[in-house]
Amino acid sequence: MKILLAEDDFASRKFMDKQLSRYGECDVMVDGEEAVDAFMMALEDGEPYDLACLDVMMPVMDGYQVLKAIRDIEAQKGIPKSKRVKVIMTTALNDERNVKMAFELGCEAYAGKPIDVEKFEKVLNKLGLI
Amino acid sequence: MAEELLKNEETEQDELLEDDSQKGKFMTFQTGKEFFGISISYVNEIIAMQPIAAIPEVEDYVKGLINLRGKIIPVIDVRVRFKMEPCEYTDRTCIIVIDVKSTTIGLIVEKIAEVDTIMDDSIMPPPSLGRKEHEHNKYVYGLARTGDGVKLLIDPEKLIKQDDIEAVVEDARKEEQS
Amino acid sequence: MAEEFNTESMLDMFLYESGQLLEKLEGIILEKQDADCFDDADINEIFRVMHTIKGSSGVLMYDNITKVTHKLEDVFYYLRESHPDDVPHMELVEHVLAVSDFVTGELDKLKNGEQPDGDEKQLVEDLDEFLGRLKGEITKQGIQMPQANKHVEPTQFYITPVAGDDSHFYRISIHYRSDTQMSNLRAYSATYALKEVAEDLLYTPDDILSNEASADVIVAEGFHMLLQTKSSKEEVIALIDSSEAEEINFDELTKEEYGNALGEFGREQVILEPAPAEKAKADAKPEKKEAPKPGDYVVKTKEAGKGKTLAKNQPKQQSIISVNVEKMDALMDLIGELVIAEAVVLQNPDLKVPGLELSNFQKASGQLSKITTELQEVIMSMRMMPLTNVFQKMRRIVFDVSRKLGKDIELEVVGENTEVDKNIIEHITDPLMHLVRNSVDHGIEENSEDRTSIGKPAKGKITLEAKNEGGKVYISVKDDGKGLNKEKLYQKALEKGVIENKPMSEFTDKEIFRFITLPGFSTKEEVTEYSGRGVGMDVVVKNIQSISGRLDINSVEFEGSEMTLVIPLTLAIINGIVVQVGNSPFVIETASIKEFVRVGEDSLIHEPSGEEYIVLRGECYPFIRLNEKYDLPDSVHKIEEGIVVVLEHEGSQVCVLIDKLLQEQEIVVKPIPPYVKKVKGLSGCTQLGDGSIALILDIAGLLMHDGERR
Repeated sequence: MKILLAEDDFASRKFMDKQLSRYGECDVMVDGEEAVDAFMMALEDGEPYDLACLDVMMPVMDGYQVLKAIRDIEAQKGIPKSKRVKVIMTTALNDERNVKMAFELGCEAYAGKPIDVEKFEKVLNKLGLI
Repeated sequence: MAEELLKNEETEQDELLEDDSQKGKFMTFQTGKEFFGISISYVNEIIAMQPIAAIPEVEDYVKGLINLRGKIIPVIDVRVRFKMEPCEYTDRTCIIVIDVKSTTIGLIVEKIAEVDTIMDDSIMPPPSLGRKEHEHNKYVYGLARTGDGVKLLIDPEKLIKQDDIEAVVEDARKEEQS
Repeated sequence: MAEEFNTESMLDMFLYESGQLLEKLEGIILEKQDADCFDDADINEIFRVMHTIKGSSGVLMYDNITKVTHKLEDVFYYLRESHPDDVPHMELVEHVLAVSDFVTGELDKLKNGEQPDGDEKQLVEDLDEFLGRLKGEITKQGIQMPQANKHVEPTQFYITPVAGDDSHFYRISIHYRSDTQMSNLRAYSATYALKEVAEDLLYTPDDILSNEASADVIVAEGFHMLLQTKSSKEEVIALIDSSEAEEINFDELTKEEYGNALGEFGREQVILEPAPAEKAKADAKPEKKEAPKPGDYVVKTKEAGKGKTLAKNQPKQQSIISVNVEKMDALMDLIGELVIAEAVVLQNPDLKVPGLELSNFQKASGQLSKITTELQEVIMSMRMMPLTNVFQKMRRIVFDVSRKLGKDIELEVVGENTEVDKNIIEHITDPLMHLVRNSVDHGIEENSEDRTSIGKPAKGKITLEAKNEGGKVYISVKDDGKGLNKEKLYQKALEKGVIENKPMSEFTDKEIFRFITLPGFSTKEEVTEYSGRGVGMDVVVKNIQSISGRLDINSVEFEGSEMTLVIPLTLAIINGIVVQVGNSPFVIETASIKEFVRVGEDSLIHEPSGEEYIVLRGECYPFIRLNEKYDLPDSVHKIEEGIVVVLEHEGSQVCVLIDKLLQEQEIVVKPIPPYVKKVKGLSGCTQLGDGSIALILDIAGLLMHDGERR
């Protein structure tokens, strides 16, 4: 599995990287724009990501903007829903309105920080990634 | 004797005033020929005379209820309370709203005079010689000599008369039991 | 950051919504418990409730809740699609309540920060078994089996943040040897190692890489870290390079301590002060700095819900906010002031100058009046809540307790829409619960034979009634059970030593009934699960007295008992008619007015004692002239010129003479200030639209007074 991790905070990034690397190759980005660039590049190389974990609060673009950009690009390229990258938002912003907004933008899961690793794994399972 | 009493009054006075800036300040008002003073720490505000809703079957000095911005408070006529002849209410008649022991109450007075500073050493105890029967003396705890005459200092706690409140509570209790 | 206060966490929202839905569900169930079956609307509603909870619990991955609600949803799906006959209604009700209880229990666990770990297996099995029978029944009745209920697995998930229970919190302080070179780099390697396992990590000094001078600070004061991690102490220690370190202090903190320490570490930038001569000890308190994280987008802490919200992407406002009651009171006072100010403007004497053209002014002022009136109504209604929810709880109690005790009891509810002030609701719920339990447990007979043998229906009946009368709210719990036995009560009270030793005849009935409210008195020989602990009734009375209410007890042996809570309302809104006597306005509660009549002198009967009566259509009523009773000047004396109001209270009538009717309006009952002596016949006062004050007539008081005079 190919994973995109966008996380600006080093501690979280290292933690997530360690967690995710168990499931596959993990590319790590430190801001929102980089994340979109990486997504685009992978798509063009014909090796799209299976999973993207996006932090919300990041420099340049925040996670919601990245999510929207990713979904827009996929729509534009005519990628069917089933083939879309699975997106998990990872953030401490866990109020209902933000979560709803993210769901509306089209993420598959929303993980409140600190992340419950067990449940995270369960979600990956339900999403058919592992 | 007089000196001793004076001392007592002074200490009581000190306890009365918690706030230093209000110390020695008295709201003075005229009713009849006499001038009265009431410690400003009790005074909430002064409002113009307003329509009073009379309550039947209560003491004559309880004039009724007024609406103080949605809060309904009783008002009493100070003259009548002091057993003086009531007088007509005029444009100068005011209501002094005071807070005594968490009771808010309005005092109808003929005329507001001013805020005076009365130092403790100019307060004398009221002459008590043989005048016990004189009702209003029990509300007056001291006489103050100021530039323009003598002012009678009122103790509002006595003015609204604790036994009145107790009587009400007692009544309510009896009611409950009956 | 005001918007932060309005944000509900995802979990809170789930708890709130599900709680609401379950309440609704219980409402339906208890209402229909005695019916033969649910109607289509109920089935739809229950289906919908289950569907919603199933969906949202699925998103949050509370699997046990999802499974249980899923099963029940299935049951109701078949009911909805196939409409089978002969559904065992009682069993169904029990299943629904069991599910409702299970989910409520799990929600409570979540509320307390625990994991919802309830075991759903038994419940699911029971439901499966029931569903199986249901399907069998459907086939037997020859109804076409609907297609299986399609369940859409949720495609989106919300991972709730770890509650922090399995996270450890440490405060780590490393003191290096004074000759350590480049201690800042050593410190950095320690943080680097820890980042591997850290859920959160803060340290000070924080500029260890960019500022070489920090090396001296570290040597002098030590290097302090706050760490949140799942790893154990041993694992963490193993990660830290301890060469060159002279001392490593390692404290495990509680979550609270950690939260506090976060504040210390994260406080605003402080310029490093020269190190104090002596070594700072492990409890690192001096010079805390923010963690080195640039920009506004950085999460400063990972405490749930404390993240910074960004200015953009602020979603819409919520529809419910909670407001401090004090603020509401302040608002209410202000509106009172506004109404007065409005009257002053609109009735200003300056407007009375002849020849003024006022039509535009009148139009504008009409609009203003309308707005202020509405404003008043809105604020009043904000504080008032119907008793519906409280009564709902009582339904459940009657249902549960009566089934447990094997008694067949019907509950009738009257006046559940009566509105009372929010504070009052909070105070009466527990007392009412006690009374209802008592009625079920002690009131209604143990066996239905005991009932039928004295000609009562086998089914017991409890009536819960609320009404608003004369500025007071009456909430009564009435049962048609065995009633109170005065002799028994008296003996028991003597035995327990809770009363003076006086012959029974010296107590009135009411006094004897009141024995049961004395501390240490309980008539039940054995303590039961639901009541009879002997602490009940005196606690009830105490609670009620705390809101200056009272408890009335009435009972006839073998016929039943009635317990009535009488609560004076400081804020009740009643519908009143404003009348005038002399110059004073009075308010009479509309509900107690039977009629207005104009009568002539010939209808009056004068007694030699001075009493007067009015004869109306052959009936004779006591007559009170308010003007004389309350000594009101300038009022109508001739009965033909005034209006006679016929008032009724609890079956007794009285006629009152007034001058004229002013208007009908909603009245906010306020108490007469306690300084003023209590007057019989007056229950309170109120502020009229123009800011003036009207006294509210207390019909009960008037009748009582009248009775005394006679």
